[in-house]
Amino acid sequence: MRRLAALGLGLVVAAGCGGGGGTQKEAAPSATVFAASSLTEVFQRIAPRDRFSFAGSDQLAAQIQEGAPADVFAAASPKYPDALHDDGLVATPRPFATNSLVVVVPSDNPAGITRVADLAKSGVRVVVGAEGVPLGDYTRDVLERLGREDVLGNVVSNEEDAKSVIAKIVSGDADAAFVYVTDAKAAGGDVRTIAIPESAEPTATYEIATVANAPHPVAARRFVRLVLSARGRAALEAAGFGLP
Amino acid sequence: MRRAFALVTGSALAVALAFLLLPLFALFLDVSPGTLVSALGSSVALDALWVSVKTALIAHAFVLAIGTPAAYLLATRRFRGRAVVVTAIELPLVLPPAVAGIALLAAFGRRGLLGGALDAAGVTIPFTQAAVVLAVAFVASPFYVRGAIAAFEAVDPNLLDASRTLGAGPARTFRRVALPLAAGGLGSASALAWARGLGEFGATIMFAGSFQGVTQTLPLAIYAELDLDRTVADAIGALLVVVSAAVLLLTKVLPAWTRSTFASAIPFARSLST
Repeated sequence: MRRLAALGLGLVVAAGCGGGGGTQKEAAPSATVFAASSLTEVFQRIAPRDRFSFAGSDQLAAQIQEGAPADVFAAASPKYPDALHDDGLVATPRPFATNSLVVVVPSDNPAGITRVADLAKSGVRVVVGAEGVPLGDYTRDVLERLGREDVLGNVVSNEEDAKSVIAKIVSGDADAAFVYVTDAKAAGGDVRTIAIPESAEPTATYEIATVANAPHPVAARRFVRLVLSARGRAALEAAGFGLP
Repeated sequence: MRRAFALVTGSALAVALAFLLLPLFALFLDVSPGTLVSALGSSVALDALWVSVKTALIAHAFVLAIGTPAAYLLATRRFRGRAVVVTAIELPLVLPPAVAGIALLAAFGRRGLLGGALDAAGVTIPFTQAAVVLAVAFVASPFYVRGAIAAFEAVDPNLLDASRTLGAGPARTFRRVALPLAAGGLGSASALAWARGLGEFGATIMFAGSFQGVTQTLPLAIYAELDLDRTVADAIGALLVVVSAAVLLLTKVLPAWTRSTFASAIPFARSLST
């Protein structure tokens, strides 16, 4: 028993040494990027070495306001980067991508949804982003433009970020949800997509900015340049984003 | 030497107290008592309070009704595999709430283990208050059962035997002897489970979602309001601090209170003779 414990301890120490050696080898420090959850896949593809905190743009803005050690802030709407810029907390935000909304249903479409109007049928369980979350605000804009605010009567959950919304459809527990085109694309065959009339589509513009008190200002600027570069734009386009 | 040691332990205690109380103190300083009270009157806070109290009450009724006899069995019988059963019941105690959430989905979700059967019966659990009740009961019940086992084990088995030899059946012995003698411990375990249930967050947000007036409990409302209206989040937080402190106080007071009333020899003898 004691020998087993000693072996365990040895393994832990060895693992610790290995980890330490690894970080020493890295030349440039990585950037800590606070990004809207809808950027999860594409940002990790663009910069696999940087560190990310993915959440609702509003939550991330609140964290930066509280002094979170972020280098870069990338949000799903101009609202929060602009507000932080007014407070002097981030540099001038730059638009880098656009997105649009779709309705998704589980692959077996249990509620038989074929168009947006079906979401207002009684008993349909709809999930949306919460108010204040960019996706939630865009969703309410869409419903207002369509004159289908009655759909909100079928909402069973207001989620705090875009990924939590689509997760409820992937798991099959909700009947329909409003999500970003890019999240629907990332979910692949787990969901079925229903288009929203073009006239009702919002302009979801994503903005990125370096944080004023960034712990790694050089890495922060490098990350923003990378996202705005031809490579970054190609990756965004491949993930289904539009380019501003 | 002795004074040096006293200094070390004394300053350790001071550091611990400062560390644990500072955040709570800061929470109350964040907003004035006036705004705190008016924020608690907002529809988000009131709806969340109602959802929390309702779901916690229903869950608690189930926990007490099922947990009490189950704990009595585990406290009074020795059987093979008892340790395994007790461990299984205590498991949610140490389980991360997110695991509880995903496990509840795996069992009761539409595509879960029982999802097909529930669907056939016309029952959908996720996103309903039933889901909140299940999440609360799942995470809170071990706190009660664990405390209840200890409370029943603390009852002198000779008294239970005496009751049986005096002709009381097992049910009557449970009701008239074991329950009153364990009441203090049961009350304190019940209070602890109630507090844990009221604070449930992770399993609820995953399994029940968040909708004002339906599934948005007090902790979920804090999360939702953090970026919308910080005052409301602070107010709900302050309310939960007060409730938690009251519950904790109750768990300290209850066992002492029963020791001085039920467990003394004379009232106990009287209760048997009536």
